[in-house]
Amino acid sequence: MEVIWQNLPVILVGLRLTIQYSIVAIILMVVIGLIAALMRLSKFAPLRWIATAYVEIFRSTPLLVQLFFIVLGLPAILPVNEWFGQLWYPILAAALTLSLNEGAYVTEIIRAGILGVDRGQKEAAQSIGMNGFQTMRYIVLPQAFKRMIPPLVNQAAQTIKDTSLLAPVGIAELVYKGEIVIAETFASFAIWGLIAVLYFILIFSLSKFSSYLERRLQVDKR
Amino acid sequence: MINVRDLHKSFGDNEILKGISTHVEEKEVVVVIGPSGSGKSTFLRCLNGLETATSGEIEIAGMTLTDPKTNIHKLRQHVGMVFQQFNLFKHLTILENITIGPRKVKKIPAAEANRIARELLAKVGLVGKEANYPDELSGGQQQRVAIARALAMGPNVMLFDEPTSALDPEMVGEVLQVMKALAVEGMTMVVVTHEMGFAREVGHRVVFMDDGLILEEGPPSELFSNPQRNRTKSFLAKIL
Ligand SMILES: Nc1ncnc2c1ncn2[C@@H]1O[C@H](COP(=O)(O)OP(=O)(O)OP(=O)(O)O)[C@@H](O)[C@H]1O
Ligand SMILES: [Mg+2]
Repeated sequence: MEVIWQNLPVILVGLRLTIQYSIVAIILMVVIGLIAALMRLSKFAPLRWIATAYVEIFRSTPLLVQLFFIVLGLPAILPVNEWFGQLWYPILAAALTLSLNEGAYVTEIIRAGILGVDRGQKEAAQSIGMNGFQTMRYIVLPQAFKRMIPPLVNQAAQTIKDTSLLAPVGIAELVYKGEIVIAETFASFAIWGLIAVLYFILIFSLSKFSSYLERRLQVDKR
Repeated sequence: MINVRDLHKSFGDNEILKGISTHVEEKEVVVVIGPSGSGKSTFLRCLNGLETATSGEIEIAGMTLTDPKTNIHKLRQHVGMVFQQFNLFKHLTILENITIGPRKVKKIPAAEANRIARELLAKVGLVGKEANYPDELSGGQQQRVAIARALAMGPNVMLFDEPTSALDPEMVGEVLQVMKALAVEGMTMVVVTHEMGFAREVGHRVVFMDDGLILEEGPPSELFSNPQRNRTKSFLAKIL
């Protein structure tokens, strides 16, 4: 107990960083996923190929390997540290790699959501003169979004857990701070236990929030 | 109002429309009949560009649909379409279903769009349903909303693809009533339907389609009582 109280400030800094990386990655993964999903459904074949290659590459290699490759491997052949700064390159690269990895899964979620909308809805939108963008924006996406919420929340929970893989490439977050504390105090049981509880609280509140959101949408809109 | 010349449409190797030519006058009500799979829906969908003609020419509402330079979105504002399955926007209220086209496509201010929508709801007999969602309405009510949604764009022509086929029998009348009122007002209409009573009473001309071709056409009284072709005779014998 004693050891937890004493090191709590350090651990909480780690927690704050984990939350920050999670928020950034969750926002970016949805943006990336939406763009890639629209590309995958595009009439223009090269766009489809690019998006498909992206999804397959990121889904078929481990996130940890992607992180090592981009955060630590790339600086060996490119002067990225000079471009972005010694301090900033690893942080930006790690956040982006994580977002791209999660975005690959989100692409498939959004694509399935769009394809799940009845074809008649799109045809009705076209028949009143809507163009492709308006049809997506006002008719297809709002309906797709509702059915996408549960899988997207799952993916967000996965993203929070996956931020722990930033520690091995030297990015400070919850696990990283925990390892530092343990190196000084040898209190592995207490500190790892604390860290597990903190992740649990984060993800549990996320899933509670999403069931609340789903209930709201159920009542408001059909 | 509509001019179709030698319209062909294939899906892959499968030729569905095999050279359709016809003409629809302003304020004319044309009823299209024919056996299942004869290409009635495909023909109608070609008329507002939901299907792209393989060859041939379509002029509609003063525009040449088959000209690649024609703005298809602009054209569709002048060609209303009513579907068998209604296809109301499930996530929008009845009022929003009707206003979304005028607001987002024609950029009409919300207040004005709402005024138009309320007028149209009164016309189709659905005052008081503004705030409901489509799945809270009966099929007949939904189809009347779908008609109002199409009318809100101010079309010059209305296309109906079996508008009453998905309805319980007791709701067919209310939809036909609305369509009849529209015809009386002088709307140009092309209606695919098996409602022979409607065809007789409201239609100026009946077109019989079979296997991707127009086999026979004429005023309802003549075509129904004195069909010239054997295919028409046997089809009418089945449904009359
Ligand atoms: N998108 C499509 N791809 C391939 N074949 C199609 C497509 N749409 C229609 N068809 C085929 O075209 C033929 C004619 O279909 P269509 O829907 O126009 O007939 P219809 O006269 O409206 O029939 P019904 O009375 O059953 O509605 C059918 O054999 C159908 O299978
Ligand atoms: Mg049909």
